[in-house]
Amino acid sequence: MSRPLDSFLAAAPWPQRLGMSVLLALVRRPRGAALLARAPLAEQAAFSTLALGRYDDPEIGRALGWDAGAVVARGRELRRSEGRP
Amino acid sequence: MMDVFDADFCVLGAGAGGAVVAAELAEGGARVVVLEQGPRHDPDGFTARPPEMLGRLYRDACQTATVGAPPILLPLGRGLGGTTLVNSGTCFRTPPHVLERWAAEFGLEIDEATLAPCFERVERALSVAEVTPELAGANAAVALRGAERLGWSHGYLRRNARGCVGSGVCVFGCPTSAKQHTGITYIPRAAAAGARIVTGADVQEILVEGGRARGVSARLAGGRRLDVRAPEVVVACGTIHTPLLLARSGLEDPSGQRGRNLALHPATSAFALMDEEVDMARGVPQSAYVDEFASEGFMFEGAAGPPAYAAMVLPLTGARHTRAMADYRRLAQFGLMVSDESRGRVRAVAGRPLIRYDLGARDLSKFRAGLARMEELFLAAGAREVYLPLPAGVRPERARVRDLKLMAFHPLGTARADARGTHGVTDGDLALHVAAGVHVADGSVVPSALGVNPQLTIMALATRLAFHLLGSSVPDGSPPAPAATARGDDRPDRKESACPS
Repeated sequence: MSRPLDSFLAAAPWPQRLGMSVLLALVRRPRGAALLARAPLAEQAAFSTLALGRYDDPEIGRALGWDAGAVVARGRELRRSEGRP
Repeated sequence: MMDVFDADFCVLGAGAGGAVVAAELAEGGARVVVLEQGPRHDPDGFTARPPEMLGRLYRDACQTATVGAPPILLPLGRGLGGTTLVNSGTCFRTPPHVLERWAAEFGLEIDEATLAPCFERVERALSVAEVTPELAGANAAVALRGAERLGWSHGYLRRNARGCVGSGVCVFGCPTSAKQHTGITYIPRAAAAGARIVTGADVQEILVEGGRARGVSARLAGGRRLDVRAPEVVVACGTIHTPLLLARSGLEDPSGQRGRNLALHPATSAFALMDEEVDMARGVPQSAYVDEFASEGFMFEGAAGPPAYAAMVLPLTGARHTRAMADYRRLAQFGLMVSDESRGRVRAVAGRPLIRYDLGARDLSKFRAGLARMEELFLAAGAREVYLPLPAGVRPERARVRDLKLMAFHPLGTARADARGTHGVTDGDLALHVAAGVHVADGSVVPSALGVNPQLTIMALATRLAFHLLGSSVPDGSPPAPAATARGDDRPDRKESACPS
């Protein structure tokens, strides 16, 4: 798992943290994934969380036309040059 | 160890309601203490990376959810600015028909004329203006093209942004500080006028003696206790937490309405694969609307974000998800928001909010109609494929409650205002019916769903409350101009503290 995703999961309250860790453990295993497929909302929650981490990778982002670093740098420059808060 | 502050007003929460009340009271000459549970977020720490920002800027790392059918994710901001820090910045005035309903059903004397100066004052303070087509980006252009071809009512949204360059990450912390959230607008004004802003303050209870507010007791980071002695307390902890604070303060609730009447504006979104390059994160994510069906109880508003965000909300799994994300640059997204008639309830279980909400049959019908219309909209715009938030093979008209993947952004109503103490928690002046000197200034007082984004309504009601407490009318002139460099904590006479001495 990516570090940002780790910190995202760790910041959740314990019931959600526990629930999500179970879902993620299931979705990563073929039998678990088959089980989850019977509960579409749970399957979507697990898949969405994994996807959130995967597509946060800066290299993947850049390949899809998104550069978070450049967006942040432009923001900092605008705040500095225009005296924004 | 305990610290004690004395004030005329203690304001609990620094979001849409609390920050506005605090600034107006302080500028009116009152001694004000603001207690905010969350931190001040430094924009230098905004990374435009969703997982990291969800964990830092949102309460419960954006994993607050309702219990019921279906479960609904309920993102709430935490820190100076509250949810205004992480919302899309959309600004609607309260629709006139909603105000008419409030008068007829709840006995509230709040009409358009009364609220107009409040709205004008807030809109000036937040630099509210309509998004330009250039800034709206290609994602908005897709939906508006569809609406144009279908002859549906549509337009660009008004937002509280100044110098926006369309970074595409409003809900993950604006990196340019263009979004005029209350943490960089009203809170610095409050501090400049002498208000003391305390972050990291977990309010334990409102102190009431002989039916009258005496102040507030809070716990600071490290366990230190802070008491604020104040004859007037303004509660603005948000729709989920305000009723819980009122309950644990031992305040009576003869109406039986505290924590009830929870409206959410449940929402979902659909994606479309277009021929053209959309690059949905270039531009303002929520920049346009389609309100053709507002009278039927639903409307469409823009939604968009960077790849990690899109991957999280794209309603697909497995290989279909991978294929769609490979075409991220050609994906468009738009949101569907329902003005709900269903009502939920908030109560505390083991010290945490338990939010119960079940979607009723009438609201299910709105989602069915809305999803069908959303598909129509995208197809009219020229979509190659439309990805609806429903299980494979389920058509909108056959969708069941458990098929819906919902989020909600606008909790309202859990301390609803009603002129009658037997029907509401607060009165028409937003004072608690059961205790003198306790007022509420957040979404919890809003007695019904609005059908539109509520931040401006909450801020206008907060403005009205502040001037009522000051005993004066809302001035026609401009409020102090937004200060480009104001932060509230960067001057030698720093007023904000996490650990007051």
